[in-house]
Amino acid sequence: MLLKLTFNSLYARLLTVGMTVFAISLSLMLYMSVEKLRTSAYTSFTDTISQTDLIVGARTSSVQLLLYSVFRIGNATNNITWESYEDVIDKKEVAWSVPISLGDSHKGFRVMGTNNEFFKRYKFRGGQSVELEQGNSLDDLYDVIIGAGVAEKLNYSVGTPLIVSHGLQSFSDHDDQPFRVSGILAKTGTPVDNTVIVSLEAIEAIHVDWSTGAKIPGQITPVEEIRQMDLSPKNITAALIGVNSKLQIFQLQRWINEYPEESLSSILPGVALQELWRIVGVVENLLLGISVTVIFTTLIGMTAIIFSSLNERRREMAIWRAMGASPKVVIGLLMLEAFIISVMSIILSTLMLFLTLYVLQPWIDNTYGILVNIEMLAVKDIYIFMLFIIAASLVSLIPAIRAYWFSINDGMTIKI
Amino acid sequence: MKYIIYILISFNLMTFTISAEETRQVDKHEHGVGELNIAVEGSTIEFEFMIPGADIVGFEYVAKSDEDIAKINQALKTFDDYTNIFTLPSNSLCELNGQKVALKEEDEHDEHDDHDEHDDHDEHDDHDEHDDHDEHAEENHNEFYAKYSFECGNINAIKEVNFPYFATFTNSGELEVQFISNMGSTSFEVEGDEPLINTDGKI
Repeated sequence: MLLKLTFNSLYARLLTVGMTVFAISLSLMLYMSVEKLRTSAYTSFTDTISQTDLIVGARTSSVQLLLYSVFRIGNATNNITWESYEDVIDKKEVAWSVPISLGDSHKGFRVMGTNNEFFKRYKFRGGQSVELEQGNSLDDLYDVIIGAGVAEKLNYSVGTPLIVSHGLQSFSDHDDQPFRVSGILAKTGTPVDNTVIVSLEAIEAIHVDWSTGAKIPGQITPVEEIRQMDLSPKNITAALIGVNSKLQIFQLQRWINEYPEESLSSILPGVALQELWRIVGVVENLLLGISVTVIFTTLIGMTAIIFSSLNERRREMAIWRAMGASPKVVIGLLMLEAFIISVMSIILSTLMLFLTLYVLQPWIDNTYGILVNIEMLAVKDIYIFMLFIIAASLVSLIPAIRAYWFSINDGMTIKI
Repeated sequence: MKYIIYILISFNLMTFTISAEETRQVDKHEHGVGELNIAVEGSTIEFEFMIPGADIVGFEYVAKSDEDIAKINQALKTFDDYTNIFTLPSNSLCELNGQKVALKEEDEHDEHDDHDEHDDHDEHDDHDEHDDHDEHAEENHNEFYAKYSFECGNINAIKEVNFPYFATFTNSGELEVQFISNMGSTSFEVEGDEPLINTDGKI
């Protein structure tokens, strides 16, 4: 009875109530999408590398090493020599290792030199391997394997020839030594999608005619001659390492960090990710703070709307009183009204959230590499909703108490 | 965010500059920040603490007075019983099966296991040159090192680790924790106001 009455009363004020519900839904949606993006970004981040125990590079900060070796963001300050790399992998603690050489690019995509071990050892999202969707692994010196993103954006297929550029943003190309796409990787949702993979030997080969970062003028060694040369790598940018037992990892890490012949750094990927996340966390908390403030603002807005409608509704209340409703029922009615508004807002905001996510998901994935999972609401969301409903009902107490006084004073005769 | 303080080279290491091939480097050492490494493999869990002397006994010079020596010995004794430092849930059925407690002074910096590699070490062992060594005693740094190894009946029951460490040592600052298990690696920062880490789902 009371519920029906409230519904009808709300329906009679469809426009104002509708606007209120819409405003609250938007703010709730804002909060939920920030929360959703935050958790998705975190999982995408942490899912990028798994089962690699240590990353070794030149002496640098752990975050930087992680960023350039795994996320291909930023650059290495230094490379490490092959001798040091061999010293490290000769340690008995090391079970496997993958050398990585960075520094060149192809049409804005980073070129990474490595060996076929990379495809076996690099794991993401809890142990998934990168897999070839088409073509073969790196067999010839001038073979490249491209990530799914590269293939899609540049419209490449197996057999497409390509030229690697020197450096990341330079106008000089290694055009004397063309490569050929030998394989295309399946989509991983990691930076591998946007990477052009060649062998370590190929990195050496394209730099045969280069000295201290510049092409030696007039010198072009024929490809046939290069193929005969000793192209074993002289330096690499970083290495992914797996250990035999987790118990040995810190000992090995200390050994690498104190390696006397070259300044090396070794990091645990998860530890560096956490460190990075703590820095990003400031912005994250800021966003969260803003969306919570927006929720509060709309709550206050809702109260203001109920308040302003009170004067207009004094007649309505007088009728309620005439029908036998006690002043307490008037309070109940207004709180019920706030309750219904907040529940409707929650339903609408959830629908809007899913719709927005559904529409934007491919774009977010492509642009930022963050895979937003569209899944059922988490327990935490339900708590937030409950908290919101309670807050809305409590806030509505203020106008409700005022209405209570109105109805006591006015009784059934309104003196307006 | 953390600011890592790099301390200048100790005099002992400076002698190495004569040999050109030697890389000069010094471990980081930040007062108020202890390091803890936790590794889990199978049913074994290991804890390795490296804590600046200042955080434990309040000083880092070489203890000479009886009072200071007593403090250090007392601290080492405290480390001997790991429950003064951290506790594991009793239902994890963990049994201590190895521990090592030591005070590492910076002078012993090169006490690595690969001592032989540094054959140039002896060449420069001419300590006499540095009679000014003592004057700079206040620049010394020392570190408490403690390693504990456990065998656990139910390692998955370790859902959190508590650190009485902060109550035991009143000078202690934060603990930076590196953690690795088959689930991957992660890190924690533990401080006295919330002296525990949550390892639920990480082992």
